[in-house]
Amino acid sequence: MNRLASHAILAAAAVLVLALLGGEAASPVLYTAENTSTAAHADPATIQKRSPGDADALVPLMDDLLGQTGTLALTIKLRDYESAERDLARYSELSRQFDRLVVTLDVSGTDIGEFQQNNRKNQEALEALLNDTRRFEDLKRLEIEVQDGEQRMAIAYEGEALRQKMREGFSAYAKREPATTRIAEHYDLNTTPYQQSVEHFAEVADAADDWRPATGGTAASPLAIAVTPAEGRYGDTLRIGGRYAGGVPGTRIEVYVDSRAAGAATLDADGTYNHPYRIGRIVAGPHLAYATAGGIYSEVATFEVLTQNTTITLALAEVNRTAVACTGNLTIGDGLPVAGAPVLIRTDDGTLAAAETDENGTYRTEIVLPGGEHTLRAEFHAAGYPLNASESPAETVRVRGEGLSPLPFVAAFAAAAATGWYLRRRRPEEEPVAKAAPVPESPGETPPQVEIAGLPPREAATVLFRALRTRLGIPETKTPRDCARIAPAHAGFFERYERIRYAGETPTDEELRAMEAEALGGGEGAA
Amino acid sequence: MAKVRREAWAVLLILLLAGGAVYAHATTTTEEFSRYNVGWNGTSNLAVEEVRDLRGLPPGATLLILAPDVAFTAEEVGYLRAFLESGGRVLIADEEGNANRLLADLGSTMRVRPGNLASLERDHVDPGLFTGYPVGNATIFSGVETVLLNRPAAVTGGEPLLETSILTWDDADGDGRIGGSETFGTAVVCAREGNLTVLGDASLFVNAMLAGNPKFIENIRPVLIDAAHSRTGTANPLINAITWVRETPAAAAAFAALAALPVAWRFGRKIDD
Repeated sequence: MNRLASHAILAAAAVLVLALLGGEAASPVLYTAENTSTAAHADPATIQKRSPGDADALVPLMDDLLGQTGTLALTIKLRDYESAERDLARYSELSRQFDRLVVTLDVSGTDIGEFQQNNRKNQEALEALLNDTRRFEDLKRLEIEVQDGEQRMAIAYEGEALRQKMREGFSAYAKREPATTRIAEHYDLNTTPYQQSVEHFAEVADAADDWRPATGGTAASPLAIAVTPAEGRYGDTLRIGGRYAGGVPGTRIEVYVDSRAAGAATLDADGTYNHPYRIGRIVAGPHLAYATAGGIYSEVATFEVLTQNTTITLALAEVNRTAVACTGNLTIGDGLPVAGAPVLIRTDDGTLAAAETDENGTYRTEIVLPGGEHTLRAEFHAAGYPLNASESPAETVRVRGEGLSPLPFVAAFAAAAATGWYLRRRRPEEEPVAKAAPVPESPGETPPQVEIAGLPPREAATVLFRALRTRLGIPETKTPRDCARIAPAHAGFFERYERIRYAGETPTDEELRAMEAEALGGGEGAA
Repeated sequence: MAKVRREAWAVLLILLLAGGAVYAHATTTTEEFSRYNVGWNGTSNLAVEEVRDLRGLPPGATLLILAPDVAFTAEEVGYLRAFLESGGRVLIADEEGNANRLLADLGSTMRVRPGNLASLERDHVDPGLFTGYPVGNATIFSGVETVLLNRPAAVTGGEPLLETSILTWDDADGDGRIGGSETFGTAVVCAREGNLTVLGDASLFVNAMLAGNPKFIENIRPVLIDAAHSRTGTANPLINAITWVRETPAAAAAFAALAALPVAWRFGRKIDD
């Protein structure tokens, strides 16, 4: 009865345990750590770590950048060009660090992104100010040295172009001050150096204005210039042209934008020239244009480049188990492609891949991702373009990941093959022995010659063991225990020898004699 | 006969193991913040003494009201006022705004503002798991340089004790990125008025977070925890029954007697034999 009850209880307990387990079998908690986040909190142990310290550097870097504007503008104002070059290099390096950080931390859509854009423009403005100021110094020196009237005119034109450029540059620099200061104050940054840089910039521009009367201003030039329309956007073509009074048809007219050669035109029969200028990678804001015909300089014309919104798309396609092809287009409002522009692909963990658009505004790059689901986004940061930054909607892709490695299978196969080979090799050795057991001892067999006289008892036993083993045809690799199993008729001999060999026992003379008789076949008549 | 005895012992052992497993299973819960939840989001590892009656709290002690979800009666508010006036300290940890009524009743201007704070100053991928920085010289943050916060709420009013970095935003759209109308700004997540302190992150006391802020946890000890209004008291009927038995001497005695009954029966049968 008790036994029956025990069995019943055991069975009931087993059924109960199985039922309880069955009830929980569908629970994901059993298999994965999914219940690791609620609205109130997340389990930090299950949240992926990321490298710390990136964000800590952001605000101090903004402070450094503002400080650098003050230092650089001051050294430019003091005409300390050597120090200014160093300050500019330092400023550029800090700006690069800041740009990287803004992209890495994905804050380009915030006021920090606005600060970044303003800082980039400030850096460009201060760099231009440094170059223009140096050139201005050169022009001043040349004006004194050069006596030739035509050359003096050229100096006056370039000086006027530079003066206007510096004035425009200051205007744009000062216009950014309220927004930049507002952002800086929000982050509790020291804005004093930046505000001083605006003052220094103004002083440098004013000094250029002061030089104007000394040159007598720009005299009326026979080479007229105008930019139509006076403003445009990315992709627009502006017309830079005018009339050259007294010019010979076919004369080559060089056109400069911001003191850089932008192209050339040929004077028509009616004495006019026309150069189409397509707005491409040029910063937004005011720009200057002038033309030269041999030693004749035109006056300076201005035009403004306006910003425009962009649209970037992203499409994902699987290339193989680990690689994904990212393609898309970068266009401006009316569908015009943006060519040669850098595009960043941001994956969910923040890593970036770079691509560049072709003449159709299309980009394509392949990135390798670990297995699993990933969210990707394409970003255009518009550095140096008169365009606003944009980013594509997030796209999700599932990467299958690397397949199973063949290595474990190869190893398992090799192990199996080696085992088979070993067993196959071993069997022929064992089989004859197995067949030999029990060993038929042929009566006519010649007993081996054994001499044990004078040997220590244990060594003598070893000699006798070997002799018997040889006589029975048992392989030398076999131990006494193997021998006893193979030749049970001599089990007593082998077991005694095993005790002598491994247990350290010493045989008596009588035992040795008995063993000798058995080893030499004494049991069958040798004794 | 010996075989039967062996089987009996095996059955007994299995029954004991099964009983232990059932007890362990039945006396734990997965409720958030529960003292009976041994998982990551429970507070079973928080070494505190529970109180259910707010009358006669020891003067000078610290009372922790953790994630309150039961309203305080006027009488209980009076007990808390008296406790605060006698030099006692009350720390309310709440991130859902449930404590605001109590704060108003206590005459405090501090309020919990639930939201979805996120920050760039973090070493976890989750934007809600970020670093807070103590300000001022409050005892509870003495020797604490940073605090790992876990999806906290902002606290308004009072003297700030713990702030987030400037790179913090209310992630209203929950996409983990700052964008749209979201802006960076510092948020206060802990403030005090006199002996009353409000912490906008009850999650600092869950099991998974204790190791993240050891100095802070050490600073608040010894502490009493209100089990009558906090979610730490959340249990299940079986746990409630066991707690009731433990706290009711007569019931405990009855259970002891019940447990002794089989033994008495066994011994009595032997004597009869």
